Amino acid sequence: MSSETASTTTETPNRIESIRQRLMESERVGYVLSPGSGLLWVLLFLFLPLTVIVAFSFFRSGEFGTIIYEPTLENYRRFVNGSVYHQVIVRSLVVGVVTTLIVLPFGYTLGYFLGRSKSRWTPVLLGLVVVQFWVPLVIRTYAWIPILGRQGIVNDFLLWVGIIGQPVEILYSTRGMMLGLSVSIMPFMVLPVYSIVSTIDEEIIQAAKTLGASDARAFWEVTLPLSWPGVVSGILFTFILSAGSFLAPQLLGGTSDRLIAPVIETVFSQDFNWPFAATLSLVYVALIVAILYLFSRKADIEEALEGTQI
Amino acid sequence: MSVRDYAADVRTNWNWHGIRLVSALVYLSMILPLVVVVVNSFSAQRIATFPPSGLTLDWYVAFFSDEMFLSAVWVSTQVGIAAAILAGAIGTLTAMGFVRKPFPAKKALSIALLTPMIVPPVIVGVAATSFFTEIGLDRNIWWLIVMHTLLALPYAFLIVRSRLYLFDETLEDAAMTLGADRVVTFREITLPQIAPAIVTAMVLSFVISFGEFTASQFWVQRETTTVPVVIYSMVRTTITPKVNVLATLVLVITMVVPVVGFAIQRWLAGDTN
Repeated sequence: MSSETASTTTETPNRIESIRQRLMESERVGYVLSPGSGLLWVLLFLFLPLTVIVAFSFFRSGEFGTIIYEPTLENYRRFVNGSVYHQVIVRSLVVGVVTTLIVLPFGYTLGYFLGRSKSRWTPVLLGLVVVQFWVPLVIRTYAWIPILGRQGIVNDFLLWVGIIGQPVEILYSTRGMMLGLSVSIMPFMVLPVYSIVSTIDEEIIQAAKTLGASDARAFWEVTLPLSWPGVVSGILFTFILSAGSFLAPQLLGGTSDRLIAPVIETVFSQDFNWPFAATLSLVYVALIVAILYLFSRKADIEEALEGTQI
Repeated sequence: MSVRDYAADVRTNWNWHGIRLVSALVYLSMILPLVVVVVNSFSAQRIATFPPSGLTLDWYVAFFSDEMFLSAVWVSTQVGIAAAILAGAIGTLTAMGFVRKPFPAKKALSIALLTPMIVPPVIVGVAATSFFTEIGLDRNIWWLIVMHTLLALPYAFLIVRSRLYLFDETLEDAAMTLGADRVVTFREITLPQIAPAIVTAMVLSFVISFGEFTASQFWVQRETTTVPVVIYSMVRTTITPKVNVLATLVLVITMVVPVVGFAIQRWLAGDTN
């Protein structure tokens, strides 16, 4: 009996020690594994592919879509000398800026409305915005084709009101593209603005008004600055998504509306010039990184990316 | 009420009316296209006008006898479910690591994790195709699953992480003090608390996967084509009302899946309380 007790007391510290050891080991493994699992995925399937296209951009395209593995600067020379590619990039950035300027006031207004409205329908109205994220972009984009056509609803309406005497070309033009693009990106502005505005305390605004501020002044000096993080998040998404958009220019835009994403697709899938497509991609990624860098000096990128979550 | 107050009240109302008018316009622009798609799927004419002059179910009949359509819906569903499970699991694991463990360069690494959100999808498409082709992999359904998981991962990560920030860690300490080991603590305490966030993450991942076009167009094969790719190629070549049928069915799927998901989520939330 006594010897038995003795043996357990000598064993127990060892057992506890070994369990502790095992736990610490699993802890150490979990240390790397847990955050590492997502990082590994991004590393393997995004950063590694991006590295591969860096290499591709220094090769030449052979016949029938083959690649000639001899280092060359030909692709970069072609980009630098090709004014058509500069135009495409400039046009994409302009579309990004203009879309942002269109989406900002409309998206802010709706976000503000949802954040301030006390109607019992607000959850339903909010749901209608969230639903937009669920509907595939390709559907939300092509749906404009019958609406914007010569005999579409928009032309019918304008004729009926008498603003125009005969149908105008909206489909397959810059106008049509900008309309479809702005509407499809709108939820990315509405939701972050809503989620911030709904947390602004009504009393702060009332306080400003009590102190003599007009509605406009209270808005400009209290509500707007407080909702700034939502606006920043909306601007980031609107700009990046519209400048790099593919579907709206392809389905609604005219032949002169070539943006960077469709051009890269054409060079890659139709010309089979993978090295040059890689070069165009890298130039564009570099541009986005530069813009994000400038942006990060004014606002927190991580916070802005988080902004669309509600 | 003084005259000045009354004037202010009227002005406020006018501002509010203006806000409502603009909001209504934005709603019209977001909802009208979807209504047109659904209505046109019943249109009797080949070239659909709106409103249609006659209604028919012919396009639905034609749709359900088309092998390619049904196959695309099936592929998209499989890929969506697989990507939802993978992104949900990896996103949760990663979020746990980011919230619970100290490690260097956390901020930079979390931005790295969010890069699939900001790299234009056409470039993700081109880069992945170059990479997989270079290492000799043929396009197949696994390729789609892996890449859709990548695209959904940042969203899954953010959703679970924001829930974990709210999580009271003393609950775990309490469980372990009471003798539960790490696995039991995770299963009995942590998981039920964050389960609603994981469901949200999975629902969103499914929706992202099901709707992704721009990058996926580079990754599909004839046998593994997805719904958005079919819709795009039909719109580019011949618009027949069959495409509206497919889009209407997708609308139904992408509405039903989140609604069911959120019902499960509510049930889980009720379960823990």
